[in-house]
Amino acid sequence: MAVGESQIGSGSEPAEKEVEPDTGWRNTARKIKQDTTARWGMYVIGFVLAITAYTLVDGNLSRLTFGTMSDFTFAEALPFFEHPERLPAPGEAETNQPPAFHADGSLSHPLGTDPNGRDYFTRIVYGAQVSVTVGIAATFLGLVGGTAVGAVAGYYGGWVDDALMRAVETVYAIPPLILIIVFTVFVSGGSPDVQFAIVGVGLAFVPVFARIIRSEVLSVREMDYIEAARAAGVKDRNIILRHVIPNSFAPVMVYATLQIGVTILIVAGLSFLGFGAQPPTPDWGEMLNTSHGYMHSNVWLSIWPGVAIMITIMGFNLFGDGLQDALDPRLED
Amino acid sequence: MGLLRYTTYRLIQAIPVLIGVSILTFALANLTPGDPVRLMLQGQEADQETIERLEAQYGLDQPIHERYLTYMGGLVQGDMGHSFHRNAPVSELIANRIGPTLLLVLSAYVFALATSIPLGIIAAKRRNDPFDHVSRIVALFGVSTPSFWIGIMLILIFAVQLGWLPSSDLVYPWWSPETYGHDGYGEHFYQVIRHLLLPMIALGTLQMATLMRVERTQMIESLQGEYVKLARAYGVPERTIMRKHAFQVAQLPIITIVGLNLSTALGGSVLIEFVFDINGLGRLFYEAIIQLDYQLIMGITMIIATMFVIGVVITDIAYAYIDPRVTYGESE
Repeated sequence: MAVGESQIGSGSEPAEKEVEPDTGWRNTARKIKQDTTARWGMYVIGFVLAITAYTLVDGNLSRLTFGTMSDFTFAEALPFFEHPERLPAPGEAETNQPPAFHADGSLSHPLGTDPNGRDYFTRIVYGAQVSVTVGIAATFLGLVGGTAVGAVAGYYGGWVDDALMRAVETVYAIPPLILIIVFTVFVSGGSPDVQFAIVGVGLAFVPVFARIIRSEVLSVREMDYIEAARAAGVKDRNIILRHVIPNSFAPVMVYATLQIGVTILIVAGLSFLGFGAQPPTPDWGEMLNTSHGYMHSNVWLSIWPGVAIMITIMGFNLFGDGLQDALDPRLED
Repeated sequence: MGLLRYTTYRLIQAIPVLIGVSILTFALANLTPGDPVRLMLQGQEADQETIERLEAQYGLDQPIHERYLTYMGGLVQGDMGHSFHRNAPVSELIANRIGPTLLLVLSAYVFALATSIPLGIIAAKRRNDPFDHVSRIVALFGVSTPSFWIGIMLILIFAVQLGWLPSSDLVYPWWSPETYGHDGYGEHFYQVIRHLLLPMIALGTLQMATLMRVERTQMIESLQGEYVKLARAYGVPERTIMRKHAFQVAQLPIITIVGLNLSTALGGSVLIEFVFDINGLGRLFYEAIIQLDYQLIMGITMIIATMFVIGVVITDIAYAYIDPRVTYGESE
């Protein structure tokens, strides 16, 4: 084991620029801080994640406080916010109000109200809860599944590799959105919801991660420290978990960040078609689905959820681009 | 290996993948909690006798592997099963709807390629000046915005607010002008373009943005290549270098990405056809899903996967044909 950890692989390949994992990460972090693109991406992601965390806490207050705060939401206690899901009483509902900057708008509903009279600003903010958590959870699932498949395929090679890669190719051959819809609808028995969507999206993204991990593993596998660990009698499972995967992980991280953006994009499409979060849960894709019927009477409804999706994805894309520039020496001048 | 043999080889390689796809979709359709008949009858009351009769009619009383073999046997002969809801052969339903989808996807690609390649080249040539910055921002917006929302915004601006362009359905160029009451082919063609414009841009923007980014990076790398330096040293004019030396090599990754992105475009066509009310394969897929018409769902999934796989094979062959460095054969 001691041999395995001392990175003797560096000596044998002078052509490769060898980076120790620790300084590598520190180096990357420094480069990210210097990169304007990545920094802006981090600000946007931080902002979106803060909102998501807040809505997650507020949405689960009752559970978090063991039922003592079951009738309370921060949303109703704060100015400009209302309850994100509850419908107003039939007589009092002010439906389809324009945003505050419009002549007919009022500051009590900064972005107006939806066709049910609920405050649109609150629903946009609370929409982050589903979109962002599903985006991150599904990407994570795809990452874990892809890492397992790719590492095993790359490490063992031979027929294991062949069989796993054929399976991966098969999944890859079905366009993600199609596969996810088929999976979500069939596995849920015709009543789709968020949890099925997470698993479906995760499954659809196993191939991309498996391929990247596999190609990394193929080069890591030949390193002297793997040979040494094998010679020392370390079990295959431990070699994969403790040496192969950690040393193949850096490029995957960049990819995972960019993939979160793609995932949110796909999940938005999924709920736009009605196969993701179900009403009354506030969700950007679902809100665009509803607003589709009001395109002539209330244009504002179609604008805000799209802007929210765009800003969120842009954050992850900016960060991913910055990360790529920081890690890719070829593009330096 | 010659080009013809390489093509045959790649096509044969695609067969196991398609068999895999059929197993996967078949497994998913049969994984449902509750049997397909109950799904088919969702919302409708049916007595035990009707259920058994339906099961026998669709062969659902047989074990799953036999059902799969029966399905595959039909598939090989071009029989993709029978749509329960529409009471029509799946292959016929698909054949009627595939045209609009192909028209939409191909025109989105034409739009994407026609814009991304020139813009990418100019951005690479004027690296770090305002044009480059603007085009990078445009590309960032392009990859971060959902295609269906771009579609909705285009409808709001050009159809609802300005009233310049129609917001729904396509005019099919393969139908005669008389069907639409158009005055000859001139007006017919004009209407085809008018109806196609918004959905084409909505579906093509993501492709345009991705391709533009790749084109820019590739051209920058290509312009730094040894062969370009050599050509410059020989005094080859800059225009010729751009056209002959840098450009051709930089297109190779574009070809690969065009093939792989077909996956996103085909998936995206479901959304775009939904937004623009286009009666294509994507719309049919959506309706089949809503109706849980499971043989139709399997059929469309198979066809879309086949379209994607064939697209990738075509781009692979184009790659091998264009790249002087590739010898057919050692493709892996």
